[in-house]
Amino acid sequence: MSLRRSLGLAGAAAVLAAPAPAGAAVQQVLLPGPTPYPTQSPPLVAGGAPAPASLSFAIRGRALERVVAAVGPNGKLVSLRVLHRLVLRGKGDYLIVIGGPVEDVRAGAGSDSQPGLRTNQILWSGFSAGKKVLAADAQLRPREAGPFLPLRLHPVRGSNSYSLTITNATTVSQIAYAGEGFPRQLAGLLDQTRRESLAGGRLSTAYASVDGLVRVRKDAARTSAPLRIQGSLRFPAAPKSARGGTVRGKTVSFSTVLGDNSPLSLRVGVRGGGGAPRLHVVARPTNLVRALVPPDAPSWAVAVRRRAIPAEVLLRRLVDTRMQLVRSDQYQAFLSNPDPQGTNRTVYVYESAAAPRHRAAPAREPGSSDGGLVLALAIAGSVLGAGGLLVLWAHS
Amino acid sequence: MRRLAFLLAGLALIAAGCGKSSDADSPGRIVIGVDVPVTGSPYVAQTIKQGVELAVGNLNGSGGIRVSSRNYKLVVKLYDNHLSARRAVENTRRALDAGAVAVVTDGTGIEATWQLANRDGVAICIAYDGGTGLVDATGRPNVFRIAPTNRGIAFRFAEYLIPKKLKIALLGDDSAYGRQGAADVARAFSENPEAVALKLTLPAGETDLSPQILRVRRSGATALLVWAQPPAIAAVLSAARSIGWDVPVYAPPTGADPFIRQQLADHPGWVDGLTFASGRMTAEVGTAPFLNFQSQYDSTYGVDRVGVKTAAGEPVTQPPEFAMYSYDFVHVLVAAVSRAASVERDKVLAALNEVTTQGANGDERGFNEHSHEGVVDDDVYFARFEDMVFRPVADDALSATLPPIPQTAGG
Repeated sequence: MSLRRSLGLAGAAAVLAAPAPAGAAVQQVLLPGPTPYPTQSPPLVAGGAPAPASLSFAIRGRALERVVAAVGPNGKLVSLRVLHRLVLRGKGDYLIVIGGPVEDVRAGAGSDSQPGLRTNQILWSGFSAGKKVLAADAQLRPREAGPFLPLRLHPVRGSNSYSLTITNATTVSQIAYAGEGFPRQLAGLLDQTRRESLAGGRLSTAYASVDGLVRVRKDAARTSAPLRIQGSLRFPAAPKSARGGTVRGKTVSFSTVLGDNSPLSLRVGVRGGGGAPRLHVVARPTNLVRALVPPDAPSWAVAVRRRAIPAEVLLRRLVDTRMQLVRSDQYQAFLSNPDPQGTNRTVYVYESAAAPRHRAAPAREPGSSDGGLVLALAIAGSVLGAGGLLVLWAHS
Repeated sequence: MRRLAFLLAGLALIAAGCGKSSDADSPGRIVIGVDVPVTGSPYVAQTIKQGVELAVGNLNGSGGIRVSSRNYKLVVKLYDNHLSARRAVENTRRALDAGAVAVVTDGTGIEATWQLANRDGVAICIAYDGGTGLVDATGRPNVFRIAPTNRGIAFRFAEYLIPKKLKIALLGDDSAYGRQGAADVARAFSENPEAVALKLTLPAGETDLSPQILRVRRSGATALLVWAQPPAIAAVLSAARSIGWDVPVYAPPTGADPFIRQQLADHPGWVDGLTFASGRMTAEVGTAPFLNFQSQYDSTYGVDRVGVKTAAGEPVTQPPEFAMYSYDFVHVLVAAVSRAASVERDKVLAALNEVTTQGANGDERGFNEHSHEGVVDDDVYFARFEDMVFRPVADDALSATLPPIPQTAGG
């Protein structure tokens, strides 16, 4: 568990565990975000010997990742590749260890250095004179890394139909709290959260005032990272019709957000098409838009002035949406960024795996060893046959 | 008679038991072979050998190494390869017979020795020669290096010199070192041919290079990059300066070899401005770790005197750069033994890919499955001589961050 995660959990636990003092009933409660993340991965971690890792505070890191998941006809993961591009800015030494179930790694396009490989680790070591691009093209073990991908694909092929169900797999149950908040303050916090969400950045730390005891909500919060998906299915022939997507020639394309007050799965049903398609789905963790829209008002502050919204409803919305944004931020890094404050952006790409190549039987070359054996057998047979005929002739 | 037989059998059993117990309690031996050119290149041999011995002395002095409930002492076996590949092969065989778990070398004869050692699962560590192709994590899984690579130095030179808009003469002597380096330099400058005025091979044994230097001058060169053994670099400086040509001269790590200053001791001004590239001796953490190492080294072996003096009359000393590399390898090797929890050669060899230790200068040292280089290219810095001592240059990002290392008694 990372230090950041440990501290975050400890802080939240402290707030929840602290009994409300008898006279001073109002207390400050730490709202979710920017951390801790609700689960340990992503970013991926792996066992093995911890290596001494260091990144000077003078160096900032920005990580851009492209996770390419090759899936079979049944939607199962076949291989997993990550293009991890880390841009360091600042002057100083660095020793970076990126954990994960790494099978192999090589330098990606534009890398200023070569990555090292150890058991479950990608290593970078060197000196940054101001800017350094460290690009790794890593092959991960699908069995270990696959469970942390954000989508599940479930294709079903009928005699003259095909359907693909894409499900947001980032949902987790989390303990959430409730209490008697102050509507105006909560509305202000919702507006602040909305602004930060629309800006696409990480949440800033925020506190809410709660009058009296903080309670654990009876129903656990179901938190999902909102995912913007765009995809296409390219069929051998033009489909007759499609639900959940648009037919254009041989291709059915679709686009939606899974989460953010929208369904967590999308089913694309296609009639015709003449066989299994090649699929291409791109998923990006995104911000919240719908879930933070104020009701009939330009802002939450105006909304609570226009009509009474119960504080409990506002607090619930605030906690739930912030937890979703934390989950979205968590999926922005599939492999870790050594700079805890650094920005991360990850794109998840699902593609049909290349069909396994059927190895053609090697052509027999004239004079090959097998050919020689056949020739030898033929000669031996001829000799034996001739001998037999000779014996028969002698005895006749 | 029967009783006597039982008695003898009982005594034999007791003796056997005692022997076993005594064997388990006595410290085991981890042998490290050191194959260096004691009679071919004494300075290089001595610095590598003393680096290994210093590390071994420290580790043994603190109780040795505990592996699977048994103590081990490190033992150094020294062999002289005389800069001869054939001798290096013989020495490697002897080291293997002596049970060596690793061999530290300057790099002589690696082409022939690595396979011998690999057959027995023995690691070889090069602590001096930066030749390209000597180390290949895939093709030569038992060869490691802690020393700046020629490739890294050549590319750092290109990075450093090309923006200066100089017309550079790329000179190399006809030794193996010179030819390999010249090839790396040519590759590094291949995308910037406009920066190259001329490429020329110098005869390694020649003490008077005046004709060659005259030709270089006529080519319009405004800088010389001389990849050569120390005598050739000294000869280039003599030839250029004696005709009053104050051209900047750049060199690989051999540029810091005391031999050059000794040769030019009568004309100390001729050394001024000579700029060489090498692995940095101090890390970002500062000078303290290296100075601590140097202090240990000096107190054990005495300072390495260059044999020249500054203008103020102070004797100049040589910092133990290459001793640091062989010293670091011993520590990486011990970390691998600990990680493998075994002194079996194969296991130690495999574990060398999985460990990192802090080097004598505070830098991390370690190898991995893809790289058996213990000095990364980024750690190559540039230093310039002035008054017989060198200090990091100010016009390179890395070098500008490095403090000078004291090279006189007064610092």
